[in-house]
Amino acid sequence: MTFLGMPLLRSKHAHSDLPGGQGNIVEAEAFPEASQQHLSNQQLRNNIGHATSTIRSKRAEVVSELDDWERLRDAGEATKNEVMENLPEYLAQFEAAFTAAGGIIHWARDADEANAIVTELVEDNAPVLESGRREVIKVKSMATQEIGLNEHLEAEGIDAFETDLAELIVQLGDDKPSHILVPAIHRNRDEIREIFMDKMPDAGQLTNEPAVLAEAARKHLRHKFLTTKVAISGANFGIAETGTLGVVESEGNGRMCLTLPETLITVMGIEKLLPRFADLEVFLQLLPRSSTGERMNPYTSFWTGKFEGDGPQNVHLVLLDNGRTRALADEHGRTALNCIRCSACMNVCPVYERTGGHAYGSTYPGPIGAILSPLLTGVEDEANGSLPYASSLCGACYDVCPVKINIPEILVHLRGEDVKANHSPVSSQLDAALTGASWMMSDGKRMTAAEKGLPLAHKVTGGEQINDLPGIAGAWTSSRDIPALPEKSFRQLWAEEEADGSDEKGQR
Amino acid sequence: MTDTAREEILARINEALGRRGGGEYVSSTVRTTSASAAPANADDVDTTDGPAATEATAADSGYHHEGAHTGEDLVDLLIDRLVDYKANVHRASGDPGETIAELIGDHSSVVVPRGLDETWLAGFSGDVRVDSPGEELSVDELDAQGAVVTASAVAIAQTGTIVLDGSSTSGRRAITLVPDHHVCIVRTGDIVDIVPEGIARLDAHAPLTFISGPSATSDIELSRVEGVHGPRTLDVIILEA
Ligand code: SF4
Repeated sequence: MTFLGMPLLRSKHAHSDLPGGQGNIVEAEAFPEASQQHLSNQQLRNNIGHATSTIRSKRAEVVSELDDWERLRDAGEATKNEVMENLPEYLAQFEAAFTAAGGIIHWARDADEANAIVTELVEDNAPVLESGRREVIKVKSMATQEIGLNEHLEAEGIDAFETDLAELIVQLGDDKPSHILVPAIHRNRDEIREIFMDKMPDAGQLTNEPAVLAEAARKHLRHKFLTTKVAISGANFGIAETGTLGVVESEGNGRMCLTLPETLITVMGIEKLLPRFADLEVFLQLLPRSSTGERMNPYTSFWTGKFEGDGPQNVHLVLLDNGRTRALADEHGRTALNCIRCSACMNVCPVYERTGGHAYGSTYPGPIGAILSPLLTGVEDEANGSLPYASSLCGACYDVCPVKINIPEILVHLRGEDVKANHSPVSSQLDAALTGASWMMSDGKRMTAAEKGLPLAHKVTGGEQINDLPGIAGAWTSSRDIPALPEKSFRQLWAEEEADGSDEKGQR
Repeated sequence: MTDTAREEILARINEALGRRGGGEYVSSTVRTTSASAAPANADDVDTTDGPAATEATAADSGYHHEGAHTGEDLVDLLIDRLVDYKANVHRASGDPGETIAELIGDHSSVVVPRGLDETWLAGFSGDVRVDSPGEELSVDELDAQGAVVTASAVAIAQTGTIVLDGSSTSGRRAITLVPDHHVCIVRTGDIVDIVPEGIARLDAHAPLTFISGPSATSDIELSRVEGVHGPRTLDVIILEA
């Protein structure tokens, strides 16, 4: 017990010499602690529950309209696998095409390098205003959130204005995004009204009508759109064949950022490529239906370098690694890079619905975050090592994923990696707590539990429930009732599984 | 600095993929194509003929490439989907001038791209500003226009999507963005049924804007609210021609 919270042994893995990513992809606290804080917030749980159930039914409806949905998913999966297997070639092809069209490419190994590149570009192209600071407008981008770009720019004297309504709500509320598609999903209309009234001096009296709130955002940002010289965006797709970039959005703030400024800086992960322009025929069906539950989102823009007389004439792209190559090196986990960030998996996840996105401590919440964050950083990062347990392995995420990422399988794989890396032979506080609690778990009948993840398993009716556990695990049980547990711990079962499976694995 | 980063990232990818040779780009088997092997060196990649440029799409898993709607059914489907996403739909045949005049009658000034048939605006008594190369309207001028009237490249019925391609009739991207009212003409011959048919008609090297209904957001409790930063009114005229 002397080594509470510390792994006794760190094992070295194949490929782990590739550097992990940095930035907002590491949990500050392990998932159990973080989730406890959020589980106690009833308003947050109500807001998220309402939003996810709405979007689940919208998605189900538009997906059922397509009788070839499963074939589209197959095509999406195969296309992304093809990209990963030929990534150097597709990147080089993309680079050549984008450059030929007048765009300028920068490569960034990690968050620091990407932030430095963007800062320099902004300093070269955005004027210093009367305030002594520079300004840029931004359209929602996971990649820039991942690298902590806004915070970095702020320290360098550059104010970055988020222009998505949800991002604006988050930014004005001094808050963090909790969902990749609807970052303010944890805020209801009354809270949004309050934030706006408080932070938009010119807004006047507002009601909590969504239309009124949207109008306030329009007025608030209009002048910025029409006058700001530099915009920063992410990209949903990069087309290797043609050097084309695409942004899928709703409000028109994306179009504003991509069209009106003189300089456009896009930050995109190296995994976002598609081989051919024609592949969009699959992805423009998969993405909108999976994400917002629409047949098509209101606006999608594609640009290839610069166009004479139309849009920004100074067009840059930062290609970002930041741990992606490390994730790629894990052959059992690499399909996590196929993710097109639709957010369908979090909308169906029973764990996400109860804890909200903040508990995952990363830019990438929900089931995809539970695998992607540790893959980007490496599970040796012990806080992220707890993420693969943030699941009940119910499989709903896999069923909805438009590119068929087998999230449950990768979760189990990463749990194995975590056990090897962080818990050999005995280790963290959580393990100790569970070991201490194991006497309570001796009367088990149901096998829904998996070590750290067990208290988040679905509520089981009937049978004996455990209502209290000591230590960290206790924090979990105050919000969930745990089903009675089986005689063997997950650890024991896993060890047996490993021993049994070793022959089989050797044959692969 | 960035050159080194490029080499290093490419080398990392090769290592991650288990290719031998460190910074050299040893080609792997291209999984879904047999037509061409991946280039041996990333620097040798031919931009016009990449690893699989000869294939239409990666994996033809048997999804639909064409829809079943034709003729009036196709037009009806498009109208249904446009209306569902809160666009106003009108029909005209031959000359849409009268419909256009009705729709923009309240504005004192509108902008059009240089290639738009000028007779279409004949019934409008206000100012018509023509945006053309060398004579582009400034952002502030665009902001002062009551509406923009354009044609379009393709319309996809199944999703209610209209595509603008930056041509002389679709216009520069800014002109369909800044004014608050967009009147868009869709010729019946430009309507396709499903997304793959639409993509097949487009040129990737053009600035493309896909529009499905007016600007909207679902960011407040996930209810779709029309009207944020893009044009808040979208009038579509389906033109039999
Ligand atoms: S993992 Fe799949 S379902 Fe989840 S966000 Fe990514 S693409 Fe969507």
